[in-house]
Amino acid sequence: MTTNDLTPILERLDRMNAGLAYVVERQRAQEELLGELVPIGREALTTAIGRLDALDQKGYFRFATELAGVAQQVIEGFSPDDVRQLGDAIVKILGAVRALTQPEVLQIAVDATQALEDADQVKPMGIFGMVRATRNDDVQKGMALMVEVLRRIGHGVNALTERAPKQLDKKAKLAELLGPRSGKKRLGVERLQLPAGRPATPAATPAPAAAAPACSTPKPVTTAAVIDGIAYSADGHMVDASAWTPRLGEAIAQLQGVALTPAHVALIDAARADFVANKVSPNIRRLTQVAGVTTKDIYLLFPKAPARTLAKIAGLPKPAGCL
Amino acid sequence: MDKLTETPRKVAIICSKGGLDEVYPALILANAARQSGIEAFIFFTFWGLDAVTEKRVDHLHVNLAGNAASNMPTLVGGLPGMEALAGHMMKKQMAELELPTVREMLEILVDSGAELYACELAMKMFKRTTEDLVPQVKEVITAGDFYDLSTGAQIIFT
Repeated sequence: MTTNDLTPILERLDRMNAGLAYVVERQRAQEELLGELVPIGREALTTAIGRLDALDQKGYFRFATELAGVAQQVIEGFSPDDVRQLGDAIVKILGAVRALTQPEVLQIAVDATQALEDADQVKPMGIFGMVRATRNDDVQKGMALMVEVLRRIGHGVNALTERAPKQLDKKAKLAELLGPRSGKKRLGVERLQLPAGRPATPAATPAPAAAAPACSTPKPVTTAAVIDGIAYSADGHMVDASAWTPRLGEAIAQLQGVALTPAHVALIDAARADFVANKVSPNIRRLTQVAGVTTKDIYLLFPKAPARTLAKIAGLPKPAGCL
Repeated sequence: MDKLTETPRKVAIICSKGGLDEVYPALILANAARQSGIEAFIFFTFWGLDAVTEKRVDHLHVNLAGNAASNMPTLVGGLPGMEALAGHMMKKQMAELELPTVREMLEILVDSGAELYACELAMKMFKRTTEDLVPQVKEVITAGDFYDLSTGAQIIFT
């Protein structure tokens, strides 16, 4: 073995020695670092624990726990569909929020709240005060705005209700409860309907001729007495006018205390002629029209109950009408 | 046979309102009384005085406001001209029925022997003199006179 042979070995040893020295040096440095880090780490841990403790004491963790509970409830209460709809609506919500938070709008809100703060200075107002207030331009503008807002809200509500299934209105419900109801006009008819099982009694009272005014309706005359073969009604008029003769007229006139003159007879003839023509016993007004006499004349000829006395003497029924 | 001659009857009618519909009943009742051989007189007082006032007798109206039977809301009935319109309508209807006018009725009543009286106090209140009244009025009397006249009479107030 020569020196030459030894040289590479020595060189390698040298290099190894340098490497060893580096390793040792690094080990030493690591140990130094560790020695420094451990206290720092310990301190950091202590601080961290202290911080977490503080957070816990402030309620952060409990808050988080509760939040988790709330989230649970939200998830239980809302279906994914709802959330999707919320996602659709979020743009609109944000739009509304942005509109509300415009400086001008906020200023209006601030002014309005200012009014609330000054509420103690506001005086009570009656309906006339309201009317007076409407003369103010600002109030008018505010009212217009309120009406516009109301209009839009109402429009929206209408749209909502239209979408909702149509409900029976109150009247329809009531009608359903009460059953079929007859119209007002049939009220009188209902009364005539007799309960089932009871035989309808024959019409005891003949239907009165309601169409004509009661004042001028001649009542059916019934015989109350028959004197010398002539029938008279209860009020002393002859039942059958055709049974009259001038002689009978004179006899009745005597009973009535009237002494017949040609004037009387003319009037009696006029009354009888009118009765034959119209089938209605003439009253005084009618006599003045058809016989060409005045009211005064008639009362002079028949001072007591002229039309009646005249009708009795003339064998006519009681005069019709009120005049 | 004739009950009317047995007991003499008499009616005293007080006409205190001046509407066409308020005057006619008094006039017709008095007329019917006379036709039935009953003595009758009418005492015109307060607004009823219009029925015997020359300038008013032909222009009596129908009172619509506050009249529940008029088929017209009180507010509408209270509008200017509505009373005149209703009065006109009623007069038209009466003409169709050949009812005499108020003036004619007054003449008929006097001709048939009824008596018409005017109230003195109402005359003073409305500042009317006997010249303002229709000739059919017999006399201007007081309430006391009215009672003297209505002795034994049935009193009807309209």
